[in-house]
Amino acid sequence: MFYREAGIFKTSYAADQALFRIPFDRIFVISVVLFAALVIPVIGNEYWLGSILIPTLIMAIATIGLNILLGYCGQLSLGTGAFMAAGAFMGYKIATAFPWMPIWAVVILGGICAAMIGVAFGLPSLRIKGFYLAVTTLAAQFFLLWLFQKVPWFVNYSISGVPTAPPREMFGYLVTGAEASVEARYLFILAFTVILALIAANLVRGRIGRTWMAIRDMDIAAELIGIKPLPTKLSAFAVSSFYCGVAGVLWAFCYINTVEATAFDIFRSFTVLFMVIIGGLGSILGCFLGAFFIFLLPIFLNSAPGWVGLEVPTELISHVEFMVFGALIVFFLIVEPHGLARLWAITKEKLRLWPFPY
Amino acid sequence: MAAVEGLQEDGHADAAQAPARDAGEIVLKLDNIELGFGGVKAINNVSFEVRKGEIRAIIGPNGAGKSSMLNCINGFYKPQKGSISFNGKTMSAMDPHFAASNGIARTFQNIALFRGMSTLDNLMTGRVLKMRRGFLWQALHWGPAQREEIKHRAFVETIIDFLEIQSIRRTPVGRLPYGLQKRVELGRALAMEPSILLLDEPMAGMNVEEKQDMSRFILDVNEEFGTTIVLIEHDMGVVMDISDRVVVLDYGRKIADGTPDEVRRNQDVIDAYLGVPHED
Repeated sequence: MFYREAGIFKTSYAADQALFRIPFDRIFVISVVLFAALVIPVIGNEYWLGSILIPTLIMAIATIGLNILLGYCGQLSLGTGAFMAAGAFMGYKIATAFPWMPIWAVVILGGICAAMIGVAFGLPSLRIKGFYLAVTTLAAQFFLLWLFQKVPWFVNYSISGVPTAPPREMFGYLVTGAEASVEARYLFILAFTVILALIAANLVRGRIGRTWMAIRDMDIAAELIGIKPLPTKLSAFAVSSFYCGVAGVLWAFCYINTVEATAFDIFRSFTVLFMVIIGGLGSILGCFLGAFFIFLLPIFLNSAPGWVGLEVPTELISHVEFMVFGALIVFFLIVEPHGLARLWAITKEKLRLWPFPY
Repeated sequence: MAAVEGLQEDGHADAAQAPARDAGEIVLKLDNIELGFGGVKAINNVSFEVRKGEIRAIIGPNGAGKSSMLNCINGFYKPQKGSISFNGKTMSAMDPHFAASNGIARTFQNIALFRGMSTLDNLMTGRVLKMRRGFLWQALHWGPAQREEIKHRAFVETIIDFLEIQSIRRTPVGRLPYGLQKRVELGRALAMEPSILLLDEPMAGMNVEEKQDMSRFILDVNEEFGTTIVLIEHDMGVVMDISDRVVVLDYGRKIADGTPDEVRRNQDVIDAYLGVPHED
């Protein structure tokens, strides 16, 4: 068989602690990344790259962000959209105030601004847990969007209130704004996605990730081990909001090409939450599965009747889409709260024993 | 089994010679501790001390305030009165972080493992206070951060070997049977390299073999690592066998303190805990 878990012997702890403990996994992930970087820009058309892969990858970054907070640290947040907006608007302010600044630095600084705002709104998490915390983050969602819409300073006093994203170059290619080629934007986003996913995977398997999970699983025991709850929770809020902020900058600069608060409303927060739940709480792989699932499902539902020769009115399809969507969320919450990533793990476990029952 | 031998000799020894083994210095001292929840006095003016290297048992009927006592020792509860002296420092209440960073580790009556994490990660979490590398190194998981991980992994592996849990290294602890979970929890406490180990009913709900295993681990920890152990246990056989000195609590008061044999002969203890003999 080409996929083997048996017979792989580690002789050092370094090898045993590698990110991908099975050689096949490592080769597979590297080849997927290479395929995404080298082949897809060549074979992909404007529609697939611009309307599907770019938003999916950006949302995957935001999903990693929320997953760190919710899946790893156990803090429920509904303010994802607001933190994305914070990244987008602060990125816009930075990009226009310092036109000489390289675009990657703008994206990272936007993320850092979002992280600081996230920490401020994470402060109640020391006292408030679960759904009550979700409500306080909801305050962030409404307050921040209101702020960005009402204070013209954030949009540089633009008359329309919806400024366009400034065009910026990287390695001589335009990567942001409407004039940038879709391939350049895609590769720019892909680079961020891969690096951020790698960093997230490193964080969650190290000391910081363990303190997050300890707080999530048993906060009292964690405290008695010497983990301080407040800095730990705030670090999760910071990292989570950083990822959301980066996703927000990319969304505004590379996808919709405008900086507007309405793009980051409460529905954006819920979409990211659904991606986390469907993909799998506490799994980086799940973030990608969830993001792709939620982006591709509507497209599949739209085209599937056509494939089998059914003529279905568009109205009906969009309704069916909502119903199937809702049903799937309920299904996952009941059957497999750990989402697609857990289903994948269970499949692997079953196949290990197959065809024997034990 | 030095402890057991010591205990048997002590049966004939003078009752004034309190500790069964060579008395170490006092490492932890609780003075006049009072703790109440609303109108209920959980602990009422209790004082006792723990000497270096001994196995100190706290026994008493249900609701006697034993777990509250441990919670005071590691700072989870703040007593309203009294003082705690530890490491030469006297304070009115322990701070959990101070306790953890100064080598007080504990296990819980109801297992408080991190259920979503593997055995290995649970034990590695016990090393959190000893890991120093900053955020950026960890984000890269390379160089110093990786060397640090490997160093602590090597230590954790010695505990895994000691507790004989090699085969469940990668298993999420939520899936383990009860007895193994108790063992992993002991491992997590040991990973902190504690100078004082607080065990809250380490043998509750175990069968005889599991109890024997656990007793062996406790004695080995005490002897090999020189760890001072404070233990709450309901199984009198175990307590009398492995502990050097016993504190007996009843309704939040201390009713006896001494070697297992002294405690066994104490009339208050017999009345309160072991049962009043019937005439017929």
